Amino acid sequence: MSLEPRQDAGATASATNATNGDSKACWEDPKDIYDNMGPTKKPKPGMMRRARKVEGAIFFPKPENAVTIAVSTRVLFRTETEQKIYEQRGIEEYLQYQVEHENEPFAPGPAFPFVKALETVNTQLRALYPESEELFDIVLVTYNHAHVGVRLINTINYHNLFIERFCMTGGSSPIGYLKAYHTNLYLSADSEKVREALEEGIAAATMFMPDKQMEVSETQLRVAFDGDAVLFSDESERIFKAHGLDKFFEHEKENENLLLDHGPLKGFLDAASSGIRALKTLRAWGLETDEALFLAGAPKGPMLEKIRPHIYFDDQMLHVEGGSGDGHDRCPRALRDCTEVPAPQKACRQGAQCQQIARDSDPRGTSQCGKTKNGRRPISFI
Amino acid sequence: MDATIVLNTRVKQKDSSMAVVIAVTASSIFDLEEEEGPKTDSTANENEPFKTGAAFPFIKAVQRVNETLLEMNPEETLLFDVMLLSKDGSANSRSRIEDSAVHYGLEIGRFCFCGPEDFIEPLRSNNVKLFLSTDQDDVFKAWERGVPAAQLYRQDDPECTGPLRVLFTGDVLGLTDDTAPLLTELGFSEPQVQNIAAVKGAMKEFVTCVGEMRRRFGRDGSPLRIYLMTAWSPRDVCASALKTLRGWGVEVDEAFCLAGAPRGPILAHVRPHVLYDHGLGIPRNVPAEC
Repeated sequence: MSLEPRQDAGATASATNATNGDSKACWEDPKDIYDNMGPTKKPKPGMMRRARKVEGAIFFPKPENAVTIAVSTRVLFRTETEQKIYEQRGIEEYLQYQVEHENEPFAPGPAFPFVKALETVNTQLRALYPESEELFDIVLVTYNHAHVGVRLINTINYHNLFIERFCMTGGSSPIGYLKAYHTNLYLSADSEKVREALEEGIAAATMFMPDKQMEVSETQLRVAFDGDAVLFSDESERIFKAHGLDKFFEHEKENENLLLDHGPLKGFLDAASSGIRALKTLRAWGLETDEALFLAGAPKGPMLEKIRPHIYFDDQMLHVEGGSGDGHDRCPRALRDCTEVPAPQKACRQGAQCQQIARDSDPRGTSQCGKTKNGRRPISFI
Repeated sequence: MDATIVLNTRVKQKDSSMAVVIAVTASSIFDLEEEEGPKTDSTANENEPFKTGAAFPFIKAVQRVNETLLEMNPEETLLFDVMLLSKDGSANSRSRIEDSAVHYGLEIGRFCFCGPEDFIEPLRSNNVKLFLSTDQDDVFKAWERGVPAAQLYRQDDPECTGPLRVLFTGDVLGLTDDTAPLLTELGFSEPQVQNIAAVKGAMKEFVTCVGEMRRRFGRDGSPLRIYLMTAWSPRDVCASALKTLRGWGVEVDEAFCLAGAPRGPILAHVRPHVLYDHGLGIPRNVPAEC
């Protein structure tokens, strides 16, 4: 296992000359009324560089080429104070407060390290593939009023984040905009909005501010998947639930060479559970795992504690029907999760009981199967 | 041909010193180019009202703003005053346009009939604050002659009863002395760049009026909704545009900074009635890296 994040500092400097291929084809949207307007002299490429503050992050990828991740204000920044004002004193005072404090940046929120890690990945991708636009693109999607926009932009400047695109919907549902921005993944503190997004076929997850801040890597993006139902269709899972463990293994064995159907998150990383079949499926999708852990029912807590992923995809995130958002009701399940997620991106907040089980358990059922090349990769899929 | 102005006696005339006069082309509101049927049909059609055009819902949305303002205050004078502008001055066309306006119950203060090329002067002489057309050429010609103009976005649903959606693009509104040199690099000519102050000034009058109207309504359920979009600028220009508008008393409801992402999908979602650009145009090939 090589979990130590190691960063090539040299990679950042050379990533300035990325081009974008044939920009024209993608820009001529037939609905775009601007196409035949105005001065047509081709501008010098890179004119916006001067306007950018982020070294090495000088162009905005086209949304159709990028992996677009939409984050809400409340997951990107800490806004508890403002939230309280809104709840206690109403919208007018809330907006007034925001405007009066617009030169005071928000503090980083639960998705912040994740966004920073994505920036590192982008920097390295640019260095390795300067012609490619296959990058992560972050869009700030918030149902705040545009009034709050100035403070948000000031905060983005303050933290030097690579977010250029945003959308402030003034109270309207952001779901339609997620589609317009070709969103691949939506992260929000509002489980109701997450549910709406999921219903529209957009991969989405609820994020919480943990009680205990954990330090997570800002230089290596760590993605952990629960392969059971998140990446793969829950066909096998359903067999387990209906017919028990024996039938489940029988089914898996019989179908070892069949690839699993796509689960709801396949769209996010076009880019792991009872064994061989899961690995074959991942490989067929072009997703290499750095570490594959087949827990065979053992609690995941200790492993996650060690890995500290930025984002842990558990199918529980996809079943947010609970609505309460605290996740207590859906935490302990027979074979799987009393998942202690140590990173700030807690998909599921645990009750004390769960944590106890996680601490006491011995991950003896754990076997390490898919070992990887090296620990230098800025993305670690686990 | 000199333009002919016909006051519509069927509607109450607005206080022209206070009202926001907007001019709309008849071809945006009505479908003037109906399919050529057999000759007999064509004659029979002459007494029929025109079918509704691509921006018909706009005129209805404007009326709902006026109605709501008057419901809230019967003495209200800050209202839209619509002039319908037709570039076909034939007697037959005139009466059919007037009849169509009656047929659809449109609150049009006056009609302007003029030739296809001389529609600019009546805009000036009638104190028009904004000229609107679905035809981009019209919009350009007006801006070329210094008359503020905006595009009417085609609406799919003629029955839509939502708020009047006015979208301002902020790429020029948000320019400051620091960022103005970007325009030269983008391919704007020197005179165009120098024109920016004038353009902003020309936009200001209408924008301020609409902002004042917007403030008459509450945050929710307003019959008027204001959007800001920066299409190709970085985020700081968007922030600066928000501040500019705030300085003019405009409270923007929704804001989008696209930073070079295609506008089509967002526009298709917002479906603004009015797409108020800055008349400078947008460089055709803004590089995707922007």
